Amino acid sequence: MLTIKVLGPGCANCRKLEQIARQAAESLGIDSQIVKVTDMKDIMAYEILQTPGLVINEKLVSSGRIPTAGAVVDWIKAAGQAG
Amino acid sequence: MDALIAFGSQLLQGGLGNLAAYLAAHVLLCLLPAFFIAGAMSALIPKQAVTRFLGRNARRTVSYPAAAAAGSLLAVCSCTIVPLFAGIFRKGAGLGPAITFLFFAPAANILALVYTGSVIGPDFALARLLLSLVFGVGIGLIMALVFSNDDAAHDRATDTLFAAQDARGMHRAALAFLLLWVALLLLGTLKLDVLTRAHLSLDLPLAGVDAWQQMLDRLVPHDPGKGEEGVSVQGVVLIGLLVSIGLVAWRGLETIHDGVTGWTRASLALIAATLLFAALSIQATADGLRIGFTGKFFGIAAALALLRHLGRNRLSAEELRDWLWESWRFVKQIFPLLVIGVFIVGMARVVIRPEWIEAIAGTNSLLGNLAGVAFGVFMYFPTLVEVPIARMFLDLGMHRGPLLAYLMADPELSLQSILIISAIIGKAKAWTYVGLVALFSTTAGLIYGAWVDGTSPFLLVLWLVGFIAVVAVLLRVANRRSSLSQEAHHAHH
Repeated sequence: MLTIKVLGPGCANCRKLEQIARQAAESLGIDSQIVKVTDMKDIMAYEILQTPGLVINEKLVSSGRIPTAGAVVDWIKAAGQAG
Repeated sequence: MDALIAFGSQLLQGGLGNLAAYLAAHVLLCLLPAFFIAGAMSALIPKQAVTRFLGRNARRTVSYPAAAAAGSLLAVCSCTIVPLFAGIFRKGAGLGPAITFLFFAPAANILALVYTGSVIGPDFALARLLLSLVFGVGIGLIMALVFSNDDAAHDRATDTLFAAQDARGMHRAALAFLLLWVALLLLGTLKLDVLTRAHLSLDLPLAGVDAWQQMLDRLVPHDPGKGEEGVSVQGVVLIGLLVSIGLVAWRGLETIHDGVTGWTRASLALIAATLLFAALSIQATADGLRIGFTGKFFGIAAALALLRHLGRNRLSAEELRDWLWESWRFVKQIFPLLVIGVFIVGMARVVIRPEWIEAIAGTNSLLGNLAGVAFGVFMYFPTLVEVPIARMFLDLGMHRGPLLAYLMADPELSLQSILIISAIIGKAKAWTYVGLVALFSTTAGLIYGAWVDGTSPFLLVLWLVGFIAVVAVLLRVANRRSSLSQEAHHAHH
């Protein structure tokens, strides 16, 4: 079970990132849940200076920009192997 | 009843007229490039290049300018402002630079400055920039001194967030790309004779154009004496082009993450065509249209050709995609608010009597400046809408001093931002900040207003020195208090 967190207060970029992350997870057919973290305090718990941020299994993989679906697929695969 | 309907239609006409005039005359050559510049800043400037100077161990002479730079370069939208502010405060350079950043970001980001410059005047934009810079650093320093005891918590935090992991600068092509957009913006908005004069002109025999223009003048009646603008034939075509850009971009840029399509290329081509068309000077004459190819037109054509070359050959596909997406996101986020705001301002203008404004803020008085600040604090307008509102006040007879006081206070303070700030730094600090912003905005208005009224620079310098002296005395007191308590703290150990 993979936990993907999307960090961001709900701006356009965060919604876009959530959509891309969902696409990536579905394309891999991996059992995963997507959590939206919108509270500033919880977001600041990660080493992040700019939203949106993407966290896979508690590891921050990207912040401040929207990664491509391909990149997210790679990160999910890597997290799957590590776990 | 009839009177009510007449009043309603007058309101509606005021709103529509204002909107049409704004879209046609101002938006294109200033806002369109500004959105792309904001997008390029957001997508192409590596954040570490600036934030590595904001770490905990940075010296004051470095961290305050860096905080201001971060404010104007990195924080174009509230999505960036809040995390960066919290990060600088909690894990980075501390309260002072965080406050400087918070103060400077809304006043000095590229969109706000460009828009202020083109709607109200370049001197006004410059005053806004310089006074925000001086006072932003000033407020930051004061806050840091007043609350130096409370800054202890952040000593426990780590510095890793701001350590330069890979502090690369911008690569050369990306920088050139950004600068070219800035050049395009300047070419389009500067009112130099070389740029505005038509070097070549062409007469199109089109019968009936002057009748069209007369009809437009009837639809959007305007009085140049009151600073109102009408709509030209060119303006109507430009509004049409804008609408079509919106429609095409919705298919071409909204889905940019799924790949570049024909729609993407079509929207870029439309944008280029719009910029070029807006740079032409077009006049309706008795027997057709006189089209003048201005210096602007040639300059913008050259800049667009270079941008196309850089974009195709030197920027990576990822950079281009990020840039287009960020620019489009700004347009989506800000443009609708701006359209609605300008419409409402146009309606309000029908109702508000110039005598009211003149009575309250017609001169550069203390009361007038305070009124400007109070209006700025208690009214909340979305990003950039404060600019057309300021323009309305100016046309209705507001003095430029109180106007600047209003423009300094409005984007800095609103109920929403006060709530966010106090959630991060606490209530006492947040309200101190609010008080300081009100004080400094009033002072900024008074100083700029005095300059506009022709007060000698000597007197102004005296004014400024006096103000700084008062602030410095306050600082000394606060500083001594905090160093005393620190000594007591050390003695205790």
